Amino acid sequence: MKDVIVFIEHIGGQPRRVSFEIASAAKEFATALGGSVHAVVLGKNAGGAAEQLKAYPVDKIYVAEDEDIDKFLVDPSVDYLEAAVKAAGPALILVPYTMIGRDIGSRLAARLDAGQTADVTDLKVEGGKVICLSPKLGGTLITSCAFKGDYGIAAIRPNSFKAVTQAGNGEIVALEKPAGKTYRIAVEEEIVEAAGELGVEESSTVVSGGRGVGGPEPFKTILKDLADALGGAVGASRAAVDAGWIGHGHQVGQTGKTISPNLYIAVGISGAIQHKVGMRTASTIVAINKDATVPIGEFADLLVVGDLFGIVPELTKQIRANAGVHA
Amino acid sequence: MKIVVTVKLVPDTSADKRIDPATKRLVRTGVETVLNPFDEYAIEAALQLKEKAGGDTTVTIVSMAPESGKEVVRKALAMGADDAVMISDPKAEGSDVWGTAYALAQAIKKNGFDLVVTGTQSTDAITGELPGALAEFLGVPGVTYVRKLELDGTTVRAERETDNGYARVHASLPALVSVTKSIAEPRYPSLKGIMGAKKKTIAVQSLADAGVDKPIGLEGARTELVDVTTPPARGKGEIFEAADAVAGAQKIVDFLRQRKLV
Repeated sequence: MKDVIVFIEHIGGQPRRVSFEIASAAKEFATALGGSVHAVVLGKNAGGAAEQLKAYPVDKIYVAEDEDIDKFLVDPSVDYLEAAVKAAGPALILVPYTMIGRDIGSRLAARLDAGQTADVTDLKVEGGKVICLSPKLGGTLITSCAFKGDYGIAAIRPNSFKAVTQAGNGEIVALEKPAGKTYRIAVEEEIVEAAGELGVEESSTVVSGGRGVGGPEPFKTILKDLADALGGAVGASRAAVDAGWIGHGHQVGQTGKTISPNLYIAVGISGAIQHKVGMRTASTIVAINKDATVPIGEFADLLVVGDLFGIVPELTKQIRANAGVHA
Repeated sequence: MKIVVTVKLVPDTSADKRIDPATKRLVRTGVETVLNPFDEYAIEAALQLKEKAGGDTTVTIVSMAPESGKEVVRKALAMGADDAVMISDPKAEGSDVWGTAYALAQAIKKNGFDLVVTGTQSTDAITGELPGALAEFLGVPGVTYVRKLELDGTTVRAERETDNGYARVHASLPALVSVTKSIAEPRYPSLKGIMGAKKKTIAVQSLADAGVDKPIGLEGARTELVDVTTPPARGKGEIFEAADAVAGAQKIVDFLRQRKLV
């Protein structure tokens, strides 16, 4: 492994923050491996995303805007990425550990007969070996895995590395359309329900509600307001999702998403093990609950015992006032 | 119509996990093994497709696990699957995603299939990478994160979750779909199902029986486990009894300010 190839996930030309994070981290790994950083940007408005990427330490940016790319789910992206990877030779490939990154990375790994790691929160290069650290079993263990072979694909958890602007060569290279490909899958329609919002996976602050919030309304009002005041996203426990109060995409925990935000605020969530495994790696955990004996009190940095319906709106008010003072 | 559901056996989430310092493997003694909770949704989705399609549609469970997990696999049969194939071979131990996906693909191809249904991820390794790798090895389209699913002749139509909404997609069979928990609540095995499952076939196969023609397991793995550590436990923090909403909010703001979070 010599070069580092970064798959840039973007939405209509706007790279996701995790894409900038992995593009920034890639530089250090490439330097340790004695190679360079290549980015691959595919699909509608890829050129726009590539322009933004020039502010990050990337040597070559492979771009393809072919309109077929978004028509057949991830399959064309895998073909393009495979072409870029084979042009580079033995490489470490970084994809974001997101729905799309996982799908593309896993197909590419199988195609290259390469090793893949998942949910990587840290990566080290030691004596030419690439070692990926991933929390397993709900964060109770951390495994360190090294790649064997010419290629390795690491899927990096959002918020694991810092996005640092530092322009590299940023040479734009057009990728040719892979020849002779047909697809047996097609996207008929995409329905966007939460345009422009950072999901719970990527937000550095997450405000989650559980059984204690009592219904769907607070997710749209008091929790949403607090999340907005903090520039964060709204999450939920399984109990709230199963009750139909909010969509499954917001669920944090064993059967939802595993996240590492800077700040996690758990509102009316008891903190059973199934929830804990999804958020235990948050840097700071604050809980608001009416019961002082809830399990979350055992691992939250601060548990405030009181009425959430009073505290949450008041907290939003104070944070907004506070922001006003410092603005 | 032949439907295959892949399942993984995992340690129960609520069990205490320990690592054997010598082997760096999970100590499984005293830890209950269960069907990966995500796979129960896949089983349910497959059973509903079978019930709707009727006729000679079958649901086969395919799993790679030690033979000692046979009774856990039987739970899938008690739910209503027709039969099962278990790849049980000491040489499969230590398999990574690559090896697991390759072996499952070989066994599934040998069994024959029109549609493969998987869960989105497992609760132990949580890679979420098996469905994509399996689709690739099977050479079929992969429709992932599906919350609604129907078969229309030789086409599978699905609604799949995306990061900011959902998408309607279709693929032609043979294909693979991975389903999310939104697909349907898994059924509990009925007493009749449990009794019936005792007579159903679980074919235990070696890697060679399953048609696995490359070394997998520890020997063939594309990744090497170099270390396992236990992260420091999160300590118990402060518990603050708020006299009223203002005091509670003030406490949080002070705390966040101290940590430079606001």
